[in-house]
Amino acid sequence: MHKLLRVLIWVAVAALGALAVSTVALHRGEQINAMWLVVAAFCSYALGYRFYSKFIAAKVLSLDPQRATPAERLDNGRDFVPTNKWVVFGHHFAAIAGPGPLVGPVLAAQFGYLPGTLWILAGSVLGGCVQDFVILLFSIRRDGKSLTEMAKEEIGRVGGAVAYISVISIVVILLGATALIVVNALKSSPWGTFTIAMTIPIALLMGLYLRRIRPGKVLETSLIGFVLVLVAIWGGQWVSQNAWTARAFTFTAPTLAILIIVYGFAASAMPVWLLLGPRDYLSTFVKLGTIAVLATGIVIFRPTLHMPALTSFIDGSGPVFAGKIFPFGFIIIACGAVSGFHSLISSGTTPKLIRRESEARMVGYGAMMAESLVAIMAMIAACVLQPGTYFAISSPAGIVGQAPEAAAATISSWGFPVTAAGMHSLAQAVGEQTLFNRTGGAPAFAVGMANIFSNSLGGQAVMALWYHFAIMFEALFILTILDAGTRVGRFMIQDALGHVWKPLGRTSWYPSILATSAMIVAAWGWFLWQGVKDPLGGINSLWPLFGISNQLLATVALCVATTIIIKMGKIRYVAVTLVPLAWLVSVTFTASWNKIFNPNPRIGFLAHAQQLAASNAPGHEVSRLIVNDRLDALVTGLLVSMVALILLQSLVEWARVLSGRKAPAVKEVPFVASRFATEEQG
Amino acid sequence: MMVRGRKHGVDEMIAYQESSRESTEPRAHLSSWLKLGSWTEGIKEMARMLIAILREIFDESAYARFLSLHRLESSISTYATFLREHEVEKVRRPRCC
Repeated sequence: MHKLLRVLIWVAVAALGALAVSTVALHRGEQINAMWLVVAAFCSYALGYRFYSKFIAAKVLSLDPQRATPAERLDNGRDFVPTNKWVVFGHHFAAIAGPGPLVGPVLAAQFGYLPGTLWILAGSVLGGCVQDFVILLFSIRRDGKSLTEMAKEEIGRVGGAVAYISVISIVVILLGATALIVVNALKSSPWGTFTIAMTIPIALLMGLYLRRIRPGKVLETSLIGFVLVLVAIWGGQWVSQNAWTARAFTFTAPTLAILIIVYGFAASAMPVWLLLGPRDYLSTFVKLGTIAVLATGIVIFRPTLHMPALTSFIDGSGPVFAGKIFPFGFIIIACGAVSGFHSLISSGTTPKLIRRESEARMVGYGAMMAESLVAIMAMIAACVLQPGTYFAISSPAGIVGQAPEAAAATISSWGFPVTAAGMHSLAQAVGEQTLFNRTGGAPAFAVGMANIFSNSLGGQAVMALWYHFAIMFEALFILTILDAGTRVGRFMIQDALGHVWKPLGRTSWYPSILATSAMIVAAWGWFLWQGVKDPLGGINSLWPLFGISNQLLATVALCVATTIIIKMGKIRYVAVTLVPLAWLVSVTFTASWNKIFNPNPRIGFLAHAQQLAASNAPGHEVSRLIVNDRLDALVTGLLVSMVALILLQSLVEWARVLSGRKAPAVKEVPFVASRFATEEQG
Repeated sequence: MMVRGRKHGVDEMIAYQESSRESTEPRAHLSSWLKLGSWTEGIKEMARMLIAILREIFDESAYARFLSLHRLESSISTYATFLREHEVEKVRRPRCC
């Protein structure tokens, strides 16, 4: 009876999922409710988790609850700690959730809600969740080894070197791209700039409070910090209304970029407890709270999607970023479906906390489902906007024109009516001077989120507060990543330079700290500066570059996973990682080829450089843009070549193992019986 | 300098972690709540679990483990030592995109 009931429940879930996906996919020319996306997502995740991840756990990975994990065997109360699976789940989710799943889907909304939604669901269930799960399990079976170490052991030295270079490249490009999002969100916005500026003294105050007054009370301190941030958001409106203070907090994009570069350098050289630590806690607190609030808001208010299912921009002519739906739709979504960066977390802290092997499924596969849901919510936030409004906010001046009337006319001519007066009213409602040309995704997401809430809670009167809360949330998040990412990059460079000259490897030696911090800040600062100066808004070139490097890292992770599966003698199940690997190779290699060689100057770096050179426009600025384009092409080429190398080395390794020329030995630690399992049986 | 009145919270946290380590069957299991029929117990358990998750994310549990491991009481100086010991580990932890 119970079995029959269970079967009926899963048949109902499948039927509901099919209905939701077909509603999302087949409705044309009429608006649908956002709940269809949510239902499609929940049903896909439920089916994926119940059946696919269970199949992988049982057949491919043979999860063994009797086998002691490193957290149990090496329990030292510090790095290795057997922890309740729900706690590990929360910890892992907090570590993997970043700005990517919020920004990518908002940008991809230019194709309509359908392509992005389908890729977020299919990509996560069949690719992203699988990658996170298998890498987590393989790291658990190797005492928590990192992806780089596993690549070196299982594929070869080239694998390790490529993983290292991929990681540092993705960190640098990520920091440049996300810093640009902050610049575009805060330019000419005294309210937003004031709020974000205030988070610096708030974080310093939190650091001192935590260290001197209430040691160890992080949650209490974060709550106080959160209340102070809310006060700063509230106070921002007075700053924007007063002529003197408004002038003091109004900056152009280049000035903001310089301020962020200086901040990034200074913050990364300050003691961790003073700024990074408390800011990290504060941004995590705000992040988790906002995601929960947004999810609740979508379910309660059930907004209608105004964006069509598909737009004409699938042909590659989109104003937000250029490029056809294949491969760029998949590159732009990035972390919402598959994120190479997650493999670093899955082979970092998390495997050292897992108490039972069987729990890796919930943590690895499950947390990525939650991340994917965040991407679905971002897609909804962008698509509840009127398409004209979305394109007015997200299109660069280089495409739609600088003047509001010209921009409105261009966007209306695409079939998405919008007026300059309407945009002016909207800007006033959210406390901004203008919302035109606010590329980067953050402002569109913020207006969408404000729209969802203000329609039911407090009306237009509080729309500005919701908008600035959302902007604060994203900017706070990104500034923390700038600080933390600069430090991570610094340590990686110090590790490498330490092999050349020992003192450079000492993480406490100040000259080394300053020199390596300057190297990392200069690298991401270069990307940021070129984005700020780009007439096409910067995001058009930087976000695809970030997406490519992220997906290339996922390719490396899936190469490692596939190699291990083959060596485990599970060739018949190799499709589990080989199919997403093949897909990612086709997507990333096509995208890289297009970014370098496509003859359309909006897509290809070299074509753009050639166009600039042919224009005979004089001046230093044009020569710099040409150099930027060529360097971007070079970076893309280097990244893809390195991944091609690791792919080649993997293929050789697979051939050697499958032909019997090499013994299929995996580098797992030997089996030790779990005390937890014995206690359970006893 | 010892900070009074804080040990209780830390002990409670450690006790909760110990109990969840020992428990092989997750306590916050939906079906067990349904069987018990005690929704209030279930909600309480959920709240405790949520707090445990937040404490892990916000390093309060790591601090509690540090105090327990070194048999120390919470104070300004012990917290400073904890921060020093965990600094490198914290900044090396990658933040995702």
